[in-house]
Amino acid sequence: MGMRWVRPLSPRVEETAGTLGGKAHGLLVLRRLGLPVPPGFVVTTHACRTFLRDGRLPDGLDDELAEAVADLEASTGRRFGGSRTPLAVSVRSGAEVSMPGMMNTILNLGLTTEATAALASETGDARFALNSRLRFLAGFAAAIVNVDDGTLGQGAGDEQARIEAIEELIRRRWGRPIPDDAARQLESAVEAVFSSWDTPRARTYRELHDIPHDLGTAVIVQTMVFGNRDGRSGTGVAFSRDPNTGENVPFGEVLFGHQGEDVVSGSSLTRPLRELADREPAVWAGLLDTLRRVEGHYRDACYVEFTFQAGELWILQVRPGRFVGGAAVRVATDLADERVIGRHEALLRISPRHLPHVRTPRIAGTADILARGIGACPGVAAGRVATTSDGAVRMAADGPVILVRPETSPHDMHGLSAAAGIVTARGGPASHAAVVARSMGKPAVVGIGDLVVDVTGASVRAGGRTVGEGTLVTIDGTGGEVALGSPSVVTTGADAHLRRLLEWADEVSGDHSERDEALRLGAAHAVLRHG
Amino acid sequence: MTRSESFATDTGLSVLHALRCSGASGLTRLAGTTGLGESDVESELIDLAVAGLVTYAGGDFGGWSLTDVGRVVNAERLAAELESAGARAAVQAAFDDFLVLNPELLELCTAWQIRSVDGVMAANDHRDASYDARVLSRFVDFDRRAAVVGARLSAALPRFGRYRVRLTEALDRAAAGELAYVADDFSSYHIVWAELHEDLHATLGIPRWV
Repeated sequence: MGMRWVRPLSPRVEETAGTLGGKAHGLLVLRRLGLPVPPGFVVTTHACRTFLRDGRLPDGLDDELAEAVADLEASTGRRFGGSRTPLAVSVRSGAEVSMPGMMNTILNLGLTTEATAALASETGDARFALNSRLRFLAGFAAAIVNVDDGTLGQGAGDEQARIEAIEELIRRRWGRPIPDDAARQLESAVEAVFSSWDTPRARTYRELHDIPHDLGTAVIVQTMVFGNRDGRSGTGVAFSRDPNTGENVPFGEVLFGHQGEDVVSGSSLTRPLRELADREPAVWAGLLDTLRRVEGHYRDACYVEFTFQAGELWILQVRPGRFVGGAAVRVATDLADERVIGRHEALLRISPRHLPHVRTPRIAGTADILARGIGACPGVAAGRVATTSDGAVRMAADGPVILVRPETSPHDMHGLSAAAGIVTARGGPASHAAVVARSMGKPAVVGIGDLVVDVTGASVRAGGRTVGEGTLVTIDGTGGEVALGSPSVVTTGADAHLRRLLEWADEVSGDHSERDEALRLGAAHAVLRHG
Repeated sequence: MTRSESFATDTGLSVLHALRCSGASGLTRLAGTTGLGESDVESELIDLAVAGLVTYAGGDFGGWSLTDVGRVVNAERLAAELESAGARAAVQAAFDDFLVLNPELLELCTAWQIRSVDGVMAANDHRDASYDARVLSRFVDFDRRAAVVGARLSAALPRFGRYRVRLTEALDRAAAGELAYVADDFSSYHIVWAELHEDLHATLGIPRWV
């Protein structure tokens, strides 16, 4: 074929993450392990760098895209933008390092008006087709106007109204409508991903995190698998081990009947991963097999994103788990005990800077967990639920309060000041609530997708349970748990593992004297690195 | 004559609006927000309280805040102001640009508070002056772009000019070594920015998630 800019997602491709991006590189690992990855191709970082230099897509890329799409059509038996059995694709950015501020994902690309109608008649499910097109438009709009899709179509009513609101936004901000031609959509999307590398926000992020500006990003194009297809479809994320404790049990979330971004953005009702075992045993078995194989490859705890369509499992992303604190210590020592890695490597995997975090208080594993979100400021706080900031101030006179809000704004400053801990439904680690919580040093949990705060009813709802204002809860700002009551709190969850790791460290350094933990580990590192 | 004009002065309305954007606040903070003297703010607050538009709560976390009537009166006044200035399209366009800037500002604040060392996220203890300087230089770069949006806002509605004064002051103080003016103090860049965000919602009548 002699492609310059495009590579198939084939086990035979052996280029580096520098050329293919980290995400595509992981997909090739999955392919080589024989795991199910939707067919697709990658536009290289080289094409991106050329685009950034010349200000336009490189010569010949359009032909290569057409050729790669034709290959996808041949292997799937579907037609891109076709009026029968239409092919839809996902378009994702994938730099060597992951980076906020860049366009992330456009799902369902190729769902032109005609292809959407074709998908509706093929599946006999017009609502599914419309919902899929809405997803495409929201993702496309977010890429074009460079905002997070959560804010798009906000306030509009049903799906048709949201579609129109988003189309209007695109006309207003982009100066032209979304092309109703699948090939043009793909070119625009590739261009949008490339352009997003150089947004001011992405530049700022790179400056702050020592990432070179000239890496560029790859673009991954894959056949869509629809987690929103039917009741036997869904999407989820899974860790091969528990990222909170390091315990060797699969951990994650699954969302039945939805598409990928819903889990990652935390905007819908997720269920514990284990529910797959009962509802979709074949998917569960396939997932366990996947986790075992990727751990074997990376020799570390791993994270995967997956979708299942009509009971069939597909893996969309893999990377090492990047655990911290006690969980990192436990995984390193367990892997050494399992003879997956040597003790010396276990020692080198733990930075002395991890050690203070091993001692951060955590909710014990036996707690009754009401909801899980993202830990935004470490520490444990217990108090009575307040659903408004005024309520928090009032209640704080009688004891500690946990302020639970959909999100926070300046109107919550007095409540945030009065509360012992903060919980929000929306937002990530860089939300208003998270920034304020850290400035006040208060434990915070954000981004609990299924949390509903009912101010009128003075209650909060999560995980199918409702608790009233005044209920005692305990939050863990490291792992992101909200537990009912006052469960026991541990500061030494990984104590036994840490003790063993430090014994190995002393054996390496030959120094068995009584001294600070970080010094013991640091001495071992010095010997292993220079000795 | 709208209802609001019947029982409050322009200065009073600006105090009312400051409470709408900053939430429950004390005199010092309101003086900083509006640029008025504390005694002027206080006398306006007393008039507004007599008119039933604001209320005072004591205690550690108390302060002045809007009553439900005060919130309605403020919303009416904002709608009338936007209408008479013919500023809706300009403010909406500036708000679109604001939404592009907002996540970057929050990421900057996050980088100021926590940093990754050896792959571990840890609180920024501000002992590494070169790291702080790097983050602040990005704040300066960000602020230049924010100023462009701010200028368009104040061209549409001059009262938005106050945010430029306050953001500049916060950044100047942070650069001069008062680190709390990045994200901790009530006059910090982050807090002023969040008030601007709230103001844009209020001005355009976009409901917040309640």
